[in-house]
Amino acid sequence: MCLNWSEKMLKFVIKKLLLMIPMLLLISMIVFFGLQLTGIDPLNFMVSPETLSANAGNIDALRESLGLNAPLIVQYFRWLGICLTGNLGYSFSGAPIAETIAVRLPYTLELAGYSLILSAVIGIGIGLISAIRQNGIVDYAGRIFAVLGQAVPQFLVGIILIQVFSIQLGWFPAANRVSPGAANPFWDGFLHLFLPVMTLTIGMVAVLMRYARNTMLDVLKSDYIKTARSKGIPEWKVYLKHGFRNALKPVLVITMFRIPMLIGGSVVIESVFSYPGIGLTMTNAITSGDYPVVLITTLIIAAAMLICSFMVDVLNALLDPRVRLGE
Amino acid sequence: MNSQTSIKARNYAASSSLLKRNIHKFLDNKLALIGLIVVVMMTAACIIGALAGVDYETPNLYVMKSPPMPGHPFGTDTIGRDLFARVLYGGCFSIFIGVFCAVMSSAIGATLGAVAGYCGGWTDKVIVRISEIFQAFPQLVLVMMLVAIVNKRGLGNLLLIFVATGWMTTFRMVRNEFLSLKGETYVKVSEAFGMSKQNIMFKQVLPNVMSPIIVSTTTNVAFFILQEAALSFIGLGVADKTPTWGNILNVAKSVSVVTDQWWIWVFPGLSISLFVLAINFLGDGLRDVLDPKQQ
Repeated sequence: MCLNWSEKMLKFVIKKLLLMIPMLLLISMIVFFGLQLTGIDPLNFMVSPETLSANAGNIDALRESLGLNAPLIVQYFRWLGICLTGNLGYSFSGAPIAETIAVRLPYTLELAGYSLILSAVIGIGIGLISAIRQNGIVDYAGRIFAVLGQAVPQFLVGIILIQVFSIQLGWFPAANRVSPGAANPFWDGFLHLFLPVMTLTIGMVAVLMRYARNTMLDVLKSDYIKTARSKGIPEWKVYLKHGFRNALKPVLVITMFRIPMLIGGSVVIESVFSYPGIGLTMTNAITSGDYPVVLITTLIIAAAMLICSFMVDVLNALLDPRVRLGE
Repeated sequence: MNSQTSIKARNYAASSSLLKRNIHKFLDNKLALIGLIVVVMMTAACIIGALAGVDYETPNLYVMKSPPMPGHPFGTDTIGRDLFARVLYGGCFSIFIGVFCAVMSSAIGATLGAVAGYCGGWTDKVIVRISEIFQAFPQLVLVMMLVAIVNKRGLGNLLLIFVATGWMTTFRMVRNEFLSLKGETYVKVSEAFGMSKQNIMFKQVLPNVMSPIIVSTTTNVAFFILQEAALSFIGLGVADKTPTWGNILNVAKSVSVVTDQWWIWVFPGLSISLFVLAINFLGDGLRDVLDPKQQ
């Protein structure tokens, strides 16, 4: 039976992984052809207007040599082929996109990752305490915080944090990820990450706290908690061993579900803090019409999302054996 | 009530007493009531301001960056436009964006959910796949991508994009409800009577799903207002000549404005936060009243 289950699990994981490939291809196709509709001509970025008007005859030759005259579908597969070799093409300003991504993707992962861990710990922690001490001080403070955290726009929270902690108090830098020539790169990183991570965390905690509180309240009302209490198990053990363990599962799944919110939020927050991650790269590429970069950044984000939803599925299946693996 | 009363009349009496009970329940919820009052008052203020034709676009170069003073209760912005007028006008646009997108995306989501859930089979599979592709992106990124594709910043485009990207949650919810309601006896009876599919879907089953749709539409108003604000803040929302709460806040990107001209970002920021807060209270109150699981 056990072996059977792990075999099923393996099949389930492989199937889900394989399903991601057609999904990514489809998304890349939609984005690729969608961006063609904008009618932006890469030649305008490559050749100055003076050269363009002086050498009208050569333009078509240039277009031909760049492969821009080929049918779109051919262009798509050419682009796909190049991407699969690991070379992600060039931005309109001539920079290799792969190099930009190699530097900036880790920055965004840091930002989102730390926020996720921190908000999970704080959010679940406060949520559980407010459920155990319902209508206590932590509960009230937590509820007010949750309500405000969901109402104030996240970028405004960021602005206020910058205003207080970096302009008035001068404790943290207001922008960027690294200071050139910093003596201690780890400490420098911490200083730069602190405010943006806090901003994202505040928004996430507001949401997670509520879920954690409600789930824990439901769990505490259930029969097995009453049974555990009636057996004379110490109260803290009832909360931790019986309550917490059962409340944790749905809360973890919700946390994973909220990752898209975190990624979407980090796009805006990177703009607030001029934090050089994928989100800021994408925002700048959209404003300047740099489509090769838009294409790659959206695909990276889509891939990240697919991986997250894959992890939610697997986590769900691992935590809850009732999830049917066959489907 | 005598025994001769028709079933219709009795049903009517029962439903109106349910309505009365719900209204009482809603009025008992102080936060929800306050939420409703704040929403109504802010909306009314914005609409009255706009109807009164307050001047939101003429810069007055003599009073640039002026703090709140008589004549300019919220002060003036970086090029001397009256902020009070801009916040009122911006409110109209922001609230309109929120309400329009929430209602439209709920309508689309509910229709698709009803069709997918009720018809099942291939129709269901195709619609679910489409919604999955949409959900492969965080909504904001999807919106940004579409903004890039449309390549033109205007109110109309933004509304279209928000509606096109906002229907999936309602869709999933309605579809799930339909999947479970499909097996109910009254649906079978309606089918046996030979009612048309549309009739069953939209007149018989959909009213039973209305409560969660109303609740999610309410909270979505807040969501779209925040979404527009975020998008306008990073410069991809509505163009500057149409004020919204979001793009008034766009100036707060500059550190000097944040430090030296607090009124330029505090008033629109407060307006958004207060409105969203009120909508959330209202939504929570409606959920308490309408959600059958809580009754």
